[in-house]
Amino acid sequence: MLHGEASLAWPTPVLLERGEAVSEAEDVGFRRMTLVWVATVLALVVVLGTLGWLMRLTQGNWLTLRPEWFYSLMTLHGLGMFGTWYIATMAAVTYLLSRYVRPSLSASRFVYGLTLVAVSLFVIATLVGRFSPGWYFLYPLPFYSQGVWKPWATAVFFTFVGLLGVAWLIWEVSLLGAIARRWSLPQALGWDVLFGRRSVSDVPLAVHIATVMLVLHLSALLSAVVLLSLYTLEGIGTGIRNDPLLMKNLVFYFGHVTAEVTTNLSFMVVLELLPRLAGRPPFRVNRMFAAAFNVILVLIAVTYLHHLLMDFAQPFWLRVLGQTASYLIPIPAAVVTIFIVLTLIYGSRIRWTLPAVLLYLGVMGVAIDGIGAAFISSTPALQFLFHNTLVAVAHLHLGFVMGVVLINLGFVFQFVKELSRSEESSWTTWAIPVLLAIGGYGLVLMFSLAGVASVPRRYAIYPEELARGVTMARFAIVPLALLTAGALLYLWELVRRWPHAWAASRLSSSEAASS
Amino acid sequence: MASRLGGLASVLVGSGLVLSLGFGAPARGTEADPEGPYGIPREERYLYRPVPAVEVATQQGVVRLDRLWGERPVLLTLVYTRCSGVCYPFVRSLRDAVRRVGGLGRDYRVVVLSFDPEDTVETMAAMARNVGLADRPDWIFGVTAPTSIERLTQAIGYWIRWDPAARQYDHPAVLIGVDRGRVVRFLVGATVEPARLYEVIRELRGEMVGTYPLPRKGVLFRCLQYRPGRGTALDWGFLLLPAPGFAAFGITAFLFWSVRRRRACPVHSPGGP
Repeated sequence: MLHGEASLAWPTPVLLERGEAVSEAEDVGFRRMTLVWVATVLALVVVLGTLGWLMRLTQGNWLTLRPEWFYSLMTLHGLGMFGTWYIATMAAVTYLLSRYVRPSLSASRFVYGLTLVAVSLFVIATLVGRFSPGWYFLYPLPFYSQGVWKPWATAVFFTFVGLLGVAWLIWEVSLLGAIARRWSLPQALGWDVLFGRRSVSDVPLAVHIATVMLVLHLSALLSAVVLLSLYTLEGIGTGIRNDPLLMKNLVFYFGHVTAEVTTNLSFMVVLELLPRLAGRPPFRVNRMFAAAFNVILVLIAVTYLHHLLMDFAQPFWLRVLGQTASYLIPIPAAVVTIFIVLTLIYGSRIRWTLPAVLLYLGVMGVAIDGIGAAFISSTPALQFLFHNTLVAVAHLHLGFVMGVVLINLGFVFQFVKELSRSEESSWTTWAIPVLLAIGGYGLVLMFSLAGVASVPRRYAIYPEELARGVTMARFAIVPLALLTAGALLYLWELVRRWPHAWAASRLSSSEAASS
Repeated sequence: MASRLGGLASVLVGSGLVLSLGFGAPARGTEADPEGPYGIPREERYLYRPVPAVEVATQQGVVRLDRLWGERPVLLTLVYTRCSGVCYPFVRSLRDAVRRVGGLGRDYRVVVLSFDPEDTVETMAAMARNVGLADRPDWIFGVTAPTSIERLTQAIGYWIRWDPAARQYDHPAVLIGVDRGRVVRFLVGATVEPARLYEVIRELRGEMVGTYPLPRKGVLFRCLQYRPGRGTALDWGFLLLPAPGFAAFGITAFLFWSVRRRRACPVHSPGGP
């Protein structure tokens, strides 16, 4: 590890330096593609965030929304946000990997087109067809609509899932193929330093983390293929029925692994950007990183089992395995998140720009969620108290809003800022993170307090017995407003720079440097 | 590359259309009928719904249901004394199951209510004597007003049909667990199995009672299989859980092996930043 003695000047640019694996034209293509992804993601987030407002206002009895609509919006908001931030993270990962390897630009464009088609189907299924079984469409609910949605909405929804799965599969296989052209699988997985004589590999840490996570997510996509096939066999009227326990295992493997992979890939973005912002040399794979991420690879594959702690039919040893893995995973995760980031920043000459602050807050959000909220989720004694309460919603929002989202916003702002060549003002550097942090943590706090008061999740209207849910939802409007204010301020700062960034994205690195 | 991707897109869109057409076939659980197959009340429609606090007249006096469940949960069943079918065997079966399971008076009370307007406090008391449950304070045999019966049956999805030929009521045999005025569980069937009654009572105590569907026809893959005498054991479907992980690793290994073997796209420099 070369950290500590480095005294490099803050490098400019941080993101826009072209790697040697791609040509000038490809580099321009990846920049434009990244901007297109960013614009799409932010547009989706504005719409999906508005749905979050509608739901909270409904739960606070300040808005009258029919329950069928509430659950449609809940499905759209939940699964939409989940997929949107996975896509955002993958867009950032693809751009960062293009500095080391040569991903396929045409695959990236194809994936974008397919994603748009899939998202359109999802919107049709939920808003037109009112498909509303919740974000993880737990079996057999999609088949039992109680007249709320028609069978065609179920079909459109599963077509959306299938298309998005294919899009992600192409994206991931193309990235793995690009890595394979330069490094062997043992090198990319860090096995040469883990089991060999070398202590440091020439593989950049970003490539190593991406490889581990993409392999893992490939398994999640394959489990989604199995899940979708079983749903289809039953759905098309073959007379075949499915085992609810098997279906629940499959859907949670897919969902949990996707969430973990999104988190770890966003952390890869931090480890790629933060050293440059802090004036440190980039990370290479050493034994600590290789050990940590290989352990994480195995543990993530089994931690999903903590979602089935309340399913008594699940074999006991599987539940023990899930709980043990859930308790173990914070150790390597904490080492490579909190510890590395703190040592990276300590004594460095980091400039606390808006992206740096957002990246730092994002890592801390992931750490708090991973060590705190995940611990609650994986402890049976606490599950008896909090299972299916708003505590689970708090956990999801903490990990995503205060972790993955902040990291992605940091990446996007740095990207656009560099392209447009405009620094942010000092007040926005602090105002945006302060609003996002107070609003985000406030939102999570209100969900948590409601959960502690036994307010269940997925309730459109709270009955008299759950009147506290109404009160909490009303109080939650305050942090939600602060979070929205921070997000709007961020968007304003981004939109202001967008025309310059878009124009500059057409220039090659050398042209941009000389302009 | 673009043309290959275009071909793939056509296949996907086509598959999506086929899938959409295929999914048009099933539509389950959409009917508004409160009765399930064979007239079995649909528990899922009435769970946690409020039960009307009707007045019940007994030999000891008039008591409101909410006073009863205000003290402890109630097992409620609807019968009529002229019944030549399921009512008497059902109440006897319930009596035996309650004796086996225990907890009567401590954890719950049983209310046996007549839905027949011709029944009286006396006929219900006679029924209690007939089944050997007279003078048991935690067994409440009573009648209520016809309007109350209508409210009650509508609230819990219970149905009654008069058969003029047989001069008998057609009705299901149901035991309903009521906790703090809300339906907690239905137990349907002429015979009350002690094991099933124990589940209802545990549910009324606030304990979690797990359920897992029994093996049924048409299930391709199951995680577990139940074998009498041996309990649950892993089944073949369980292999579908680790399979994606191993397949993903195999596919990745093959991808790296084939790409590196072909070296189709040379890298400009191995240095990197």
